[in-house]
Amino acid sequence: MAGFDISKYREMFVEEAEELFESADNLLLEAENTETLSDEQMGQLFRDVHTLKGSGASVELALFAEFTHDVENLMDKLRNHDIEFIPEMVETLIDGLDVMKELLELEVAEELTRDTFTQMTTELLVDLRAYINGESVVSSKKEAAVPVETETSTEKKAFDNFNQISSDTDSNSFGFYDDDLEKKKSSNSYGFFADDQNIMENDDSEAFGFFDDQLQEAAKVAPDLPIRDYEENDDFGFFDDMPDITPESTSDQPITSEVANQPVVQEVKQEAPTQAPTPVAPVKKSVRKPKEEKATSKKSAATNNIRVNLDKIDLLMNNVGDLVITNAMLTQFTTTIEDNKVRSSVLERLELLERHIRDMQDSIMSIRMVPMESIYSKFPKVVRDISKKLGKKIDFKHYGDNVEIDKAMIEGLTDPLMHIVRNSLDHGLETPEDRVRTGKDETGSITMSAEQANGQMIITIKDDGAGIDTDKVLAKCINNGSIDENQAAQMTDNDKAMLIFGAGVSTADAVTDISGRGVGMDVVKTNIHKLGGAIKLDTGLGIGTTITIMLPLTLAILDGLDIAVGEQKYILPLSAIVESLQPTHEMIKKIGDGTQDLLMLREEFIPVVRIHQLFGVEPKHMELEKGMLIVVKSGNSKIAIFIDEFLHQHQVVVKPLDKNFRSVEGVGAATVRGDGSIGLILDILGIIEAQKKIDRNMLATKNAS
Amino acid sequence: MAKLLIVDDSTMLRDMLNYALNEGGYNDVVEAVDGVDGLEKAKNTTFDLIITDVNMPNMDGLTLIGELRKVPAYSARPILVLTTERSDEMKAKGKAAGATGWIVKPFVPDQLLKAVNIVLSR
Repeated sequence: MAGFDISKYREMFVEEAEELFESADNLLLEAENTETLSDEQMGQLFRDVHTLKGSGASVELALFAEFTHDVENLMDKLRNHDIEFIPEMVETLIDGLDVMKELLELEVAEELTRDTFTQMTTELLVDLRAYINGESVVSSKKEAAVPVETETSTEKKAFDNFNQISSDTDSNSFGFYDDDLEKKKSSNSYGFFADDQNIMENDDSEAFGFFDDQLQEAAKVAPDLPIRDYEENDDFGFFDDMPDITPESTSDQPITSEVANQPVVQEVKQEAPTQAPTPVAPVKKSVRKPKEEKATSKKSAATNNIRVNLDKIDLLMNNVGDLVITNAMLTQFTTTIEDNKVRSSVLERLELLERHIRDMQDSIMSIRMVPMESIYSKFPKVVRDISKKLGKKIDFKHYGDNVEIDKAMIEGLTDPLMHIVRNSLDHGLETPEDRVRTGKDETGSITMSAEQANGQMIITIKDDGAGIDTDKVLAKCINNGSIDENQAAQMTDNDKAMLIFGAGVSTADAVTDISGRGVGMDVVKTNIHKLGGAIKLDTGLGIGTTITIMLPLTLAILDGLDIAVGEQKYILPLSAIVESLQPTHEMIKKIGDGTQDLLMLREEFIPVVRIHQLFGVEPKHMELEKGMLIVVKSGNSKIAIFIDEFLHQHQVVVKPLDKNFRSVEGVGAATVRGDGSIGLILDILGIIEAQKKIDRNMLATKNAS
Repeated sequence: MAKLLIVDDSTMLRDMLNYALNEGGYNDVVEAVDGVDGLEKAKNTTFDLIITDVNMPNMDGLTLIGELRKVPAYSARPILVLTTERSDEMKAKGKAAGATGWIVKPFVPDQLLKAVNIVLSR
């Protein structure tokens, strides 16, 4: 295939395959639970696997396609009700998909040999073929190796085609099937169609054909295109009017699929090789009736989709960001217009422009949004595999499938969620026996839900497992020195539970020593924070654990509040702000050596952070009573930041700082202001962390003295 | 310039078809993702040739052909089916549905072009 860069298409295929696998996996998982498969599900399963095979073969993944063919075969038989569905098949099919994934990976990496292939597939093929032949699987695992070879040959007809295409890769191993099939062909398989010249002539080797005499003739005389030397066969054939196709070959099995029915068709032919041909069945009979018409409206919405690289959308977003900035510059520039009338009419139009830009921003944002379903769909399989391995019974539910999330977040979010679920499965949920012993239902549950509230995305992962023994976690933390007794005494249960997100508690050994939970939970926290989110954990011993993740809806824009400290202006993410106030003298308590202030607000002590100290700028006010305190929070931690005043609220386009400059403690990102200057966006979490360090040091000195 | 419509639910295959057709000088190619989409697009624009996959969600290729044949503009236009199967049965089905011919998938670009050239040169 001259100029054909197969690797590019392979990449596309791998991507496509992932979706197809996911779809098929989820259907099968459902079937595993319900122990039934509806016609619709079978049809979908067949299509998924069929596409995997067809596309796989198209990108010359011959071995992958070869095995997939058998899986498809079984699905096709099921779909056509040629064989009865039995729940045990699901397991085999799931395993089959797993093997397909492995094969795909290996073959794409060009690490798949025929030997490995045989090793990987032999056992499963025995089961698959037993089902296909309508037998139940007893456990043919041991004697598998030999029979498979012969069986393969009879059923591999469709792979002649693939062999042809990819003959350069593995011609010898495929030759086996070919030979065998050649024999079959030359015997009586095709006697059936004796009356149809063209079919007879061309049968298996055509690449295309026409149902028309003239065209067929044209094809025969037409020279092969010079792109590639295509030897031997008419890789295509033309039908004449085909009056002779027998009804047996068409209307008897109107719904049967072309591929998987192969063996059946062959059998029929062998039994009645001399059967007289009869006129063709009426056209309509063999056309499948689309019973999916109901789904049409829903699905056709998807038909207008295009795939766009996220980078392009980011670029677009950036461009709009620049527009926003330019617009703001223009607005500012109007102050230099002396004529009042002119100025106000220019301003009016600029406001209109701003509105349009904002609309555009919203539209682009909505392009970036994808439903949570795309994250959820990865879980059922993982839950099934792990729970099976651990011998636990788990019911996984998810809500809010249609809640939309910024595509850019999906990658950063999937890992932490996966981690949480794994932990829940491994350490949180008990074995059926333990659950029954403690009076619970033997099936544990994990529920994942997503909702949008207050301009935030809230994702909850809840299990009804054993919960976390917070006292043990606490003891562990005191033991490893990450907190001391004094701190421990002040901690609420929630604070203690949050300790599992600390780095010190996250090693596997430490965790299995205590109640479970916590393998790499600090990584989970870090990842969530990277997304600008916060994480919260509630746990009840014996009742279960709920982890709540709060995320901004997007990473690209945030609502910010301009604050001023001396000459400097900073931007505070609005989502972090709890309240703002001008404190009275009574509300301030000094601790430590008198440099650290605490704000007493409704019986809660909140440490005060002086922004001017943090960034080393000269403030207008030194006394807290004269400036403003803004209470901000990240996760469960609150601080009050001390500033001179706050200015106005506006949307800012977030630009990463470290990409353009370097990361700065206390500053999360930057933006460009209307006047072209750079605005720094405060990183509340970073400031809180810094404050905590100060607190700890202070407590340490206090204890020492 | 001949207008072509390719109908396949696999993005990759559409890409491959498109590429091959472009190589052969067919640059006016529209893609549709399933039968429903294909039918809609075919009704909006009259294509000189339609190449369709068989197994697709929403509406399969054979049904699509049947539907297209009901549309006056397509009563006699060439429609080729892409099939993974060379079986006689499949061919019979394709013919019964009203297809002009079939192309085996995985297709070889030059064979695809040859078929397209022939069918369009008529």
